[in-house]
Amino acid sequence: MSSLAHLEKKKTLFFPSVRDIFKFYFFLGLNSRRSRLFLLSSIVPIVIAAIFKGSQILYGQPRFSGLFIYSNMIMMFFLHFLILIMTLFFGSSVCREEVDGSTLPYLVTRPLHKMAFIVGKYAASTLLVGLTVIFSLAICFLILNLTQLGEGGIYKVLARDAGVLFLGVMSYMALFTFLGIILKKAIFFGLLFSFGWENIIQYFPGQTQRFAVVHYLKSLLPAMTQEGFPFLLFRLEPTPLAQSILTLLGIVIFFLGLSCALYAWKEFIIDSK
Amino acid sequence: MNPVVETKNLSKYYGNVLGLSDVSVEIHPGVVGLLGPNGAGKSTFLKLITGQLKPSLGQVYVFGQKIWNNPQLFADIGYCPETDAFFEDLSGWQFLTWMLQLHHFSACQAKEKANEILGFLHLAEDKDRLIRSYSRGMRQRLKIAQAIAHDPQLIILDEPLNGLDPLGRRKVIKYIRKMGEEGRTVIVSSHVLPEIEAMTKKIILIHQGKIFASGNIHYIRELIDSHPHIISIKCNQVRDLAAALIKAEEVIKVFFTPDPQEVQIETRQRDVFFDRLQKLILELDLNVEAITSPDDNLQAVFDYLIGEK
Repeated sequence: MSSLAHLEKKKTLFFPSVRDIFKFYFFLGLNSRRSRLFLLSSIVPIVIAAIFKGSQILYGQPRFSGLFIYSNMIMMFFLHFLILIMTLFFGSSVCREEVDGSTLPYLVTRPLHKMAFIVGKYAASTLLVGLTVIFSLAICFLILNLTQLGEGGIYKVLARDAGVLFLGVMSYMALFTFLGIILKKAIFFGLLFSFGWENIIQYFPGQTQRFAVVHYLKSLLPAMTQEGFPFLLFRLEPTPLAQSILTLLGIVIFFLGLSCALYAWKEFIIDSK
Repeated sequence: MNPVVETKNLSKYYGNVLGLSDVSVEIHPGVVGLLGPNGAGKSTFLKLITGQLKPSLGQVYVFGQKIWNNPQLFADIGYCPETDAFFEDLSGWQFLTWMLQLHHFSACQAKEKANEILGFLHLAEDKDRLIRSYSRGMRQRLKIAQAIAHDPQLIILDEPLNGLDPLGRRKVIKYIRKMGEEGRTVIVSSHVLPEIEAMTKKIILIHQGKIFASGNIHYIRELIDSHPHIISIKCNQVRDLAAALIKAEEVIKVFFTPDPQEVQIETRQRDVFFDRLQKLILELDLNVEAITSPDDNLQAVFDYLIGEK
């Protein structure tokens, strides 16, 4: 048999490769210990919401309504902590865990489009984290608004917030995927970025706050009321809605594209154990 | 016939550290043993020919095409890595079916093929256990399974017999030989000489990132003219034979062993010696029980080539 004859019909197509990688990593994610651990961490806001609602029921009307607590505390917990920590661990490991765990040879010796690996695994991780976060958010929302569940209008708030969080997951996941490819200690630098840069720069006045991803996410939400939070000296100067969405999508495309190009170009040395 | 794997002046450096130096080889169908001590460059060579590493210098062609960033070639390549690494949260069966699906097999086809190969490698009973609970031998068999399950034309196995029990070794060796007989190309690396010897006579000797020799073990022997060969003869008149042989120019030494019916000679001209021996057997009317070459194995060749003898 000619060495080339049997290869001529076999083309490695991008989308079938993305599909197969996505299916594999989504399945792996559902069964992994790490996913279960993060699923547990997403229960934390549910517990907080339940405690708040319980105390409200037991001790009478508190100063703040359920919707207020949901918008200003629970949503901020998701935005400033949960999606950052989850996307950091999932995103930075898109490539790094295969290198550190020496499982990369199984993937790079399959007839899979090289860039499809990054896109497929990114998509699987984004969907896993996104579903976990939105599930947790929805439960919190329902608990805190237990007495208003009949009002149709409040579900628009939930849908909007779920959309914002999903956009946040997409953006941060792309950014941390890129970090995981270029850095060996991506988690360390990711933590510095998440809880240093993102949490500080967003409160800077003027244009500076536009250098934080969270700025665009917050711009999609109604301005946070200052009632009860007088200690906040700096105000969000929101970017228009369409511009914010485009910027976030731009971040996704830019970092995902860069990750794909780097992954295809770079060689990864796997240590023999 | 075009070679299945061809490297031209292939070199690989890890920073300032030499991994492989100026390697040019052609590998044709059949079983080829890649032999060398740990750290010789075997794994680097295999990673280069599977496109996991980018050559620092030179070229690698597989099926006539460059392998780097050419994933479509892997439809017909099976690779068993040396490292003992897996997706530990999966069962053996799940791992194998997913690896097959990454070869674009449908879920049904993947399950069918996975069951078949797991049965063949005696993993069927444990297929639903998590890989993390597998023994070393089972993990090794699973690694081999994922390399051969999609029926590739080129099979590259990096130290495939590590951790296997004797029965498993025998089975895998038999399978590798069968693959070679079917016209597939199997490249097997090992630092254990009898393992390679049991699989093939075609070898590539590698040491310190360089190819010392390649070809048939006998061909390699001929390359080493200065290396004397020891030949042992068991017959009924050893002293008459020894007296006749000591006069021959091609014979360097004659030894007697504790066995009264055995004589050993050392020669640098194997073919000339065997011609003479045939004549002497007829002339002296010898009753020959056995003619063997105690150092005619890979260990002797290898030790000689790397200068340890």
